[in-house]
Amino acid sequence: MSLTKNESVDGTTLTIQIKGKFDFNLVQSFRQAYAQMNEKTVKVIIDLRETEYMDSSALGMLLNMKKTIDSQVKTIEISNCQPQLRKILQISRFDKKFDIS
Amino acid sequence: MIHVLIVDDQALNRILLSKMLEQEGYKISVAYNGLDALNVLKREQIDVVLLDVLMPVMDGFEAAEKIKQLYSEVYLPIIFITSLDDQASFERCLAVGGDDFIHKPFEKVILHAKIKAHIRTRELSKKANQQKKLLEYHHNQIEREHEIIEHIFNNSLENQGKFKEYLDFNLSPASMFNGDMFLVAQSPIGNLYCMLGDFTGHGLAAAIGALPVSRVFYTMAQKGMAVNDIACELNTLLYNLLPGHMFCAATIIELSASGKSVSAWMGGLPDAYLIDKDGNVKQTLESQHMALGILDEQEFEYEVIHFETNSNTRLVLATDGIIETANKEDIFFGEERFLQTLKSKSMISSEDIVANVTEFADGTKQQDDLSIVLLNCLPLIPEEQEREAFSTLAFNLSLSLNSEQIKKTDPVYDIVNILSSVEGLNAHRSNIFLLLSEAYNNALDHGVLGLNSKIKQQEDGFFRYYELREAALAKLTDAMIIIDMRYCPDTLSLYFIICDSGRGFSSKQDELSKVNNEFGRGVSLLEEIAEKVTYNACGNQVEMCYKLS
Repeated sequence: MSLTKNESVDGTTLTIQIKGKFDFNLVQSFRQAYAQMNEKTVKVIIDLRETEYMDSSALGMLLNMKKTIDSQVKTIEISNCQPQLRKILQISRFDKKFDIS
Repeated sequence: MIHVLIVDDQALNRILLSKMLEQEGYKISVAYNGLDALNVLKREQIDVVLLDVLMPVMDGFEAAEKIKQLYSEVYLPIIFITSLDDQASFERCLAVGGDDFIHKPFEKVILHAKIKAHIRTRELSKKANQQKKLLEYHHNQIEREHEIIEHIFNNSLENQGKFKEYLDFNLSPASMFNGDMFLVAQSPIGNLYCMLGDFTGHGLAAAIGALPVSRVFYTMAQKGMAVNDIACELNTLLYNLLPGHMFCAATIIELSASGKSVSAWMGGLPDAYLIDKDGNVKQTLESQHMALGILDEQEFEYEVIHFETNSNTRLVLATDGIIETANKEDIFFGEERFLQTLKSKSMISSEDIVANVTEFADGTKQQDDLSIVLLNCLPLIPEEQEREAFSTLAFNLSLSLNSEQIKKTDPVYDIVNILSSVEGLNAHRSNIFLLLSEAYNNALDHGVLGLNSKIKQQEDGFFRYYELREAALAKLTDAMIIIDMRYCPDTLSLYFIICDSGRGFSSKQDELSKVNNEFGRGVSLLEEIAEKVTYNACGNQVEMCYKLS
């Protein structure tokens, strides 16, 4: 379980990648990942390619993030979900609030 | 010992010559005519032939011609025995392969000097022949090794024929082995990975790095890793593997399964282009980093480029062989010509581009490997994953956690790991995690710790909630959570019962419907993922059934 963040070369995209387990253990580090965002950032990608597990606390964290940064960024993308995680996001109607790919 | 063959039908000449040469320490064999001489040559290792011209059965001319034909590999000198006045036959002697003459009456000093001179030439010829054989041996050896290596190289490249709709690429090596490398793979969720690499130099030395690189690339793509993680791993591999002056310029890209976005890590290759179907450049993508294998792990640069694509977008990657191809006037093909070529035709193919470059080169020798890749950014379908058969062994698993264990352990994660190792269950691990995590955290948070989810609705309540949870957990005593699991292979079901020592939480039903609130989402997720969820009357026990089919 870990979290890494990367800015794209031009600074417009922030990628937060979560490895292993996405649950309340990441509450602090997840919040810190977007707390002091580059002013140029217009897109945030939550990259779940290496996320195996998530539960409703992760959903809460995502919604909290959206509330905080919605005024600055144009898009929040949840990308590279594995099928079972994608289903969790769909059941929770997250496809209406985030770009899920 | 030098071995001389004396061929003469006249006994007097044979005896005279034998005596003279024996005194000088030569080994002597004799023959009576040409045919006889050929027979002796078959049996004995002869170094010099003294050959009479006129003999019965086979004369010296015919014999000389045959000897030269049969023993062409190493110089075998033929010295004709002639009379001084027989000028007419000299020319013919030379024409049939004679190397020298000795005239009657024989003079010992001259005869000896002539034999010595020809033996020196024969020794040189022997040495040259040995070296030639050695060279041939090495040449054959190398050819054979190259064949084996070529075989391994070809077999190490997977998926090359797949993705025809998406990929059009052309690799033209400057020599037998290609220092350029193009790899392609698809991740389990359908994303397409491509890597174009260009090792320093060309030929076998440059190509050898492709083997370990391809292994790492395929493994990581199979796991669906990010392009910068793949690049980092390859960088470390090559940094440790290659000699200091060698490296690999590379672009690694990942096209999302939707076909709508690409992320790229670009290190050291010429500009890549995003073009439309007519070849108009929409975006120029410059390499951002140093080539792979130069920086150590700490210095490695992770930044990637993201860009949006659609089904009309094509991505063009090339190695420097294209723009650095020179014509007879030493003028480079260059970026301008490359961009014009892309526009010269709708849906231009990699073959068209290489043909253009070759035409420009106009016969100058290809200096470097040429590689060009065109990627059509279309949506992809994930490959069907093979389903593991389900274990036929039914089992129960039960654990009860006291306060100390609740504080110190992460039972959900550990149980999921245990269950994942059962055949057939691994594919369901994310769902199993969700069910257990929701039920366990409900039991812990609301049952045992008595937290109220309504806190989450307050300003910054989400974080407050987890702070309170941590504090309550630290103070926890006299609590118990029991988890029971049952696997039924007959019905392909998993049953979970989670029971806590708390007072129960009857208000749960109220929270169920509020899908958009900050809480209660978990309970509704349970209902969706599980086949059936039931609570006992007082609300401190939940039972779930999950169908594996």
